[in-house]
Amino acid sequence: MRNMLPKVAASVAFCSALLGSAYAADVVKIGVQAPITGEYANEGQSIDNGVRLVIDQLNSKGGVLGKKLEVVTCDDEGAAQKAAICARKLVNEGVMAVIGSYTSGATQAAQTTYYRNKVLQTSDGTSDALTKEKYWTFFRNSFRNADQAEFTGKYLVNEKKYKRIVVLSDYSDYSLGLANSVVKAIKDAGGIVIYQGKVKEKSQNFSAILTKVKSMNPDAIYFSGYYTDGGLLRAQQAQLGINADFIGGDSNDNPDFMKLAGASASGTLMINFPTPDFLPYDTAKQFLKDYSAKYGVPVSSVWAIMNVDGLRAILYAAEQTKSFDTKTISTYLHTLKDFPGITGPVSFRDDGERINTKFNVYEVQADNSYKIINN
Amino acid sequence: MDIFLQQLVNGLTIGSLYALVALGYTMVYGVMKLINFAHGDLVALSAFVGLTVYTQIFGEGVSSLIAIIVVFVFTAAIIAFVGVLLERLAYRPLRTAPRLSAVVSALGAGLVIQNTIMLMWGPNMKIFPSNLFPQTLWDFGGVVMTFTQVMILGLSSVLMVALFLFINKTKMGTAIRATAIDQDAAKLMGINVNRIIMVIFIIGSALGAVAGLFIGIYYRGITFDMGWLYGLNAFVAAIMGGIGNIPGAMLGGLMLGLFNAMITGYISTQWAETFTFILLIVILIFRPTGILGEKVAEKV
Repeated sequence: MRNMLPKVAASVAFCSALLGSAYAADVVKIGVQAPITGEYANEGQSIDNGVRLVIDQLNSKGGVLGKKLEVVTCDDEGAAQKAAICARKLVNEGVMAVIGSYTSGATQAAQTTYYRNKVLQTSDGTSDALTKEKYWTFFRNSFRNADQAEFTGKYLVNEKKYKRIVVLSDYSDYSLGLANSVVKAIKDAGGIVIYQGKVKEKSQNFSAILTKVKSMNPDAIYFSGYYTDGGLLRAQQAQLGINADFIGGDSNDNPDFMKLAGASASGTLMINFPTPDFLPYDTAKQFLKDYSAKYGVPVSSVWAIMNVDGLRAILYAAEQTKSFDTKTISTYLHTLKDFPGITGPVSFRDDGERINTKFNVYEVQADNSYKIINN
Repeated sequence: MDIFLQQLVNGLTIGSLYALVALGYTMVYGVMKLINFAHGDLVALSAFVGLTVYTQIFGEGVSSLIAIIVVFVFTAAIIAFVGVLLERLAYRPLRTAPRLSAVVSALGAGLVIQNTIMLMWGPNMKIFPSNLFPQTLWDFGGVVMTFTQVMILGLSSVLMVALFLFINKTKMGTAIRATAIDQDAAKLMGINVNRIIMVIFIIGSALGAVAGLFIGIYYRGITFDMGWLYGLNAFVAAIMGGIGNIPGAMLGGLMLGLFNAMITGYISTQWAETFTFILLIVILIFRPTGILGEKVAEKV
C-alpha cells in the first residue's frame, strides 16, 4: 500500500494538471474556505450555499466577462490549522479569490498565504486584528465592534439627545470592550456618560447597582452584555421605577430578552446589524427568496450573506475593470463607493475594512415585535 | 436617604432568600454534622418543578390565590420528598462512615440532581411566566417595593418565626434539639433518630423549595446550574451566622444580602464578593463558630 500512494498522488496530480490546463482558458475559479463540518457547520454550509447560488445565477446568464465561474470548497472546520492547509490547497487549485472563512481565527491563519500568492480574500470575521497587516488582498465584509460603538455613540447623543447616559457591561472581553468603545464614542460625540458600571454575568440580582444608577437620575441606560442579563436588567429597572430608556447592544437581540423582561420589554431599544428578515433592500429580498427556493431552508444568519456580498463586490469589480487580475480588482475595490450589497452599501477603506456599515435601531413593541426607528 | 432605604429593601429581599436556603444547610449540619452540598441543587430543582406544576395545572396567564397556594404546596411537597429520598439513598448508608465519604456523596448527589434537571428540562434557560404574582408595585416616597418582594419578605419571615417556635416550643422541636446535642443520648431517651432526621430533611427541603420558587418568580430566568450560585451564598450565610444554629442562619442570610447590596450600591460590583469574604474571614477570626454559634459549640 505504501508504494501505491506516490503513484496515486502522481496520477491525480497529472490528471488535475490536464484538467486545469483544459479549463484554464474559459473558467475562473472561486474558492470557499468555510467550516462545512464541526461546531459552526450551519454557518459554513450557508456561506457555501450562498456563494454557489450567486455563481449558478451568474453562470446561467453567461458568466462574468464571458468566462464561466467554478466554485472550489475547502472545509476548514473553523480551526486555524485546517485553515492553513485549506489556504495552500485553494492556492494550488488556482483560485482567483477566496470567500471566507466564518471565524476570525481561521481567516487569520490563511490570510498570509493568500497575500503571498496574490489571491483575494473576503471574510466576515469581526476581530480587529484581521486588518492590522493591511494586506491588499484582504477585504472585511462585516463590521468591527468599534463601528458598532461609533454608531451607538452618535445615535445616543445626536439622534436621541440623551444628556445623562449610564453605560453598563459585564466582565467579558467582548462586552467590556464594546462598553469602553461606546463610552469613548459618546464622549467624542459631545455627550456625557455619568456612570460606567459592570454587572456580574448570570448573577440575576441587579437591584443594588440599579438603585445606585437610579440615584444618578439618568435618561438612558446602555447595556453591552448578553440578553440573559439584559432582559433581567430591563425588568428590574422597571420595577425600581427608573424612568430611563434602555438601549441594548447586539447581544441583547434575542427572543429570550423579551420573555425575561416581560411587560417592561416594550419600549426597549436595540442596536444591531440588520437580521436577514430586516434587510430593507430589494437585492436582499430577492436573494433570500432565491436561497429559500433553492435550498428549502432560510439562510442561517446575516454572516453568510455578508460573505456573499464580499463575493458580489469582487465580481462586480472584475466586470468594471474588465480584468481578473487580482491587483487591478483590489485597487478598484479600495475606491469602490456604496456598491449596492445585500447587507447594505459596500465600501472599503485602504486597509480592507468595510465602511458605512448599516446598523439598525429596533424598538420593541407592545407585542414584542421589532420596529426599525432609525432613518 | 431613599436610596439607602431602597438598598435596604433590595438587600433584605435577597437576604431572606439566602436565609431560607441557609436554614436547610444549618439544620442538617446541626443534627448530622454533614454539609449537605446537594441542597443548592434541590433549590434549583424546585424552581423547575414549580414551573412545570404551574404550567401543567393552571397554564400560563392564570393568577389567583388558589394557583399560588397550589404551586407552593405542591412543589414544597415534591421537593421535601426528594430531600427524604436523598437522605435515604445518599446519606443514611454512610452515617457511620468517615465524614469525608458523606461529603463526597453529597457533592455527587448534587451533580446527579443538576444533571437530572438538565436532562429533563434541557440545558437552556427556562423562563418563569411573569403573571403568577400580580405585577403591582408600591412607591413609598422613592422607595419602591413590588408585590413579589413583599411576598418574599412576608412569607419568609412567617416561615422563619414558625420554624423558631416549632424548634423551641414543641415536643418534636425538643427532640430535634436533643438529637443535635447528642444522638446516642437521644436514642437512650427513646427518640427515634431516623424519624428526626427525616423531619429535618422534610423541613429543610421544603424551605429550600419556597426559596427556589421565589427565585423563579422574582428573577424569571432559571438555569439547571443556578443551584450552585444560591447554594454557595447560603452556605456562606450559614457559616457566618454559626452553622448548626437556626437563628444564626437567618441572621447570616439577612446580613449577607444587606452587605452585598450596600457594597454594590456604595462601592462597586467588582468589590462586592471580595468584601463579603473579607467579612466572613473577619467574623471567623474573632468568632470561629460564627456570630451565634459559640454557645452551642461550648456545650459539648
